[in-house]
Amino acid sequence: MAERRPKVVGFCCERHGMDAAVLSARNGRQFDASVRLVQVPCTGRVDGMHLLKAFEDGADAVFVLGCLEKNCYYDTGSIEGRKRVNYVKQMLTEVGIEKERLEMFNAASTNAWAFPEIVSKMVEVAKKLGPIGGGGTQ
Amino acid sequence: MKAKIQVVLCKCCTEMPSLLNIERLQKLAAESNNVLSVVTVDAICDGKTLASVVADARDKEIDRAVVLACHKKDISPAVLKAYKRAGVNEFLVELVNIREEVVLPHRNSPENAQTKAETKLKGALARSVMLAPLERRSEEMKTRNVVVIGAGVSGLAAADEASKAGAHTILLEKTGKSVKAPGVILTHGQLLGASGYGGNFQLKIRAGEKVEELGAAAIVVATGGGWTTLKGSLAKAVKDAVPLYKFYEQMQSGTAPKGPVIIVDTPDPGGKTLKVQDYAWDDTLETAIDLKKRHPETQIFVVFQEMRAFGLSELAYKEAADLGVTFVRYDRTGTPKIDSKNPIVMSVKDFAQGEMLNIRFGTLVFASIPPNPDNKTIADALRIPMSVDGAIRRGSIQRWPVSTPRPGVFVCGSALFPKSRDVAEAEGVAAGAMAGEFVKRGRIEFGGVVAQVTQEKCSACLTCIRTCPYEAPFIGTASKAEIRAQACQGCGMCVGICPSKAIELHNYTDDQIMEETRILLGGDF
Repeated sequence: MAERRPKVVGFCCERHGMDAAVLSARNGRQFDASVRLVQVPCTGRVDGMHLLKAFEDGADAVFVLGCLEKNCYYDTGSIEGRKRVNYVKQMLTEVGIEKERLEMFNAASTNAWAFPEIVSKMVEVAKKLGPIGGGGTQ
Repeated sequence: MKAKIQVVLCKCCTEMPSLLNIERLQKLAAESNNVLSVVTVDAICDGKTLASVVADARDKEIDRAVVLACHKKDISPAVLKAYKRAGVNEFLVELVNIREEVVLPHRNSPENAQTKAETKLKGALARSVMLAPLERRSEEMKTRNVVVIGAGVSGLAAADEASKAGAHTILLEKTGKSVKAPGVILTHGQLLGASGYGGNFQLKIRAGEKVEELGAAAIVVATGGGWTTLKGSLAKAVKDAVPLYKFYEQMQSGTAPKGPVIIVDTPDPGGKTLKVQDYAWDDTLETAIDLKKRHPETQIFVVFQEMRAFGLSELAYKEAADLGVTFVRYDRTGTPKIDSKNPIVMSVKDFAQGEMLNIRFGTLVFASIPPNPDNKTIADALRIPMSVDGAIRRGSIQRWPVSTPRPGVFVCGSALFPKSRDVAEAEGVAAGAMAGEFVKRGRIEFGGVVAQVTQEKCSACLTCIRTCPYEAPFIGTASKAEIRAQACQGCGMCVGICPSKAIELHNYTDDQIMEETRILLGGDF
């Protein structure tokens, strides 16, 4: 059997986050296929439940990508998103999951280089830590 | 009720088939539940192709569609409009970005890309079934008033431009100065409070002694700089120092004080809050040249830390230097100082020569523009964000240079950050045109992807009211939160933060997001 592919979920805001991903693709940059992008209107919409549920469904790493904090389309959306992510990180530590598996990023829609960097960082984390619980057992 | 889904596979000319196996995608789509029709097209961005796609949708009476194509923002206006005309609710059309998310970035791993595309299709189909048909509604604007706050350079330009578009302009001027502008001019006028939303604002204003209620469709904030709040060691030492604009006015009317003139960048050169963009350098040079031409015998010194006369202003710099204006550059080691016992001599270390200079002057002029202290009241009333240095913040410098994040509120001139007269005027024209266009629509459209409160779950904790940047939630008559759909922008911040999970955002519900995540995680790629 082939090597187990990591599973990375990315919640992208449909403003700068998704635009950054699209622009990097249009610039011909390649990134790992294992990233699954879920579009949300704003990172403020991302709920702790969504992040935890993603881990429950088998994600090895989850990231949230929003606008730059001072240039957020919805004014304070990415700040709210970051608060939510930090809260869930704390919860993950409490249940014994490495908090590095969850990360919040900000990118401007014109940053073509940002998205592949984020993906490679998260894929590296997922590969290093392996599946949650170790060895794929629940 | 059984959903009838049409799946559209766009080949993006030759890009999709170059990496993906289109037949396998077609087969998967055709075998899925609820799918009535699978259409493969060369390019959905082509008008004729799009017409044939929606004709197929109309013939088969489908009610939902999943379109696998490129970036949502590129194709959605045309595609959604076409589906709307064919009788399909535009909010039931799910656009999946296969081109930028799968084909372009995964050229090296075609097998994974194929699985990813198939999984994305499955996810979109699952999401499509869960979407709810929504409606956009519209409401008549009650007035055609455009309220311009501030009758400075940019405010007057904005009022002029807005009136050209047929708006009734109401100009609020804090002082009693007489200005000429179209529409109503309220001197000693101030904004005290505001409620409502873009298109139908209710303002509370003070005009003279009276406090009045005023309806407005759009608002232009043109408060300008806070000239009266010059603070710092130099302003303290020299009591009769004047800001640049006042000196310019005095010079125009011929009442400017005689004697050598020093134009210095900031009243607080030793202070911590030194920012180079805070000075109107274009205006400084213009004033210096004008004064030198009128009175060639007057000595003029421009004392600065960093000159930012960019673009064509460099020619003005050269012209000023040729005319005999003395430029003195200083740095943090030798900031200008004035002894308050002898307030006619400025001592400053010239950075270029390293010498201490003692300049005897008749008039001290400040080129800096501090932020207007009224900005706080106005920003609080209109619920618009402020920048850290006390100015009004614009929506986005690229896309909305004169708009605030709140629809119907526009901003221009030195209320944003200090700038020269001509730039302020250009911004005023832009903001006035935006406000005029906004009012000319006559109706406001709202609805669609907006939040809604389930009243039974709400515990009226006010969290949503504190979080919302648009003032959309309010406590209704039943002592529960409600969302004003006219003001809601559909960001879902209140939904994520609601501790009782009482709010939901249409078509971005928890179930939809989590189901999509689950299916995407199901595929192995």
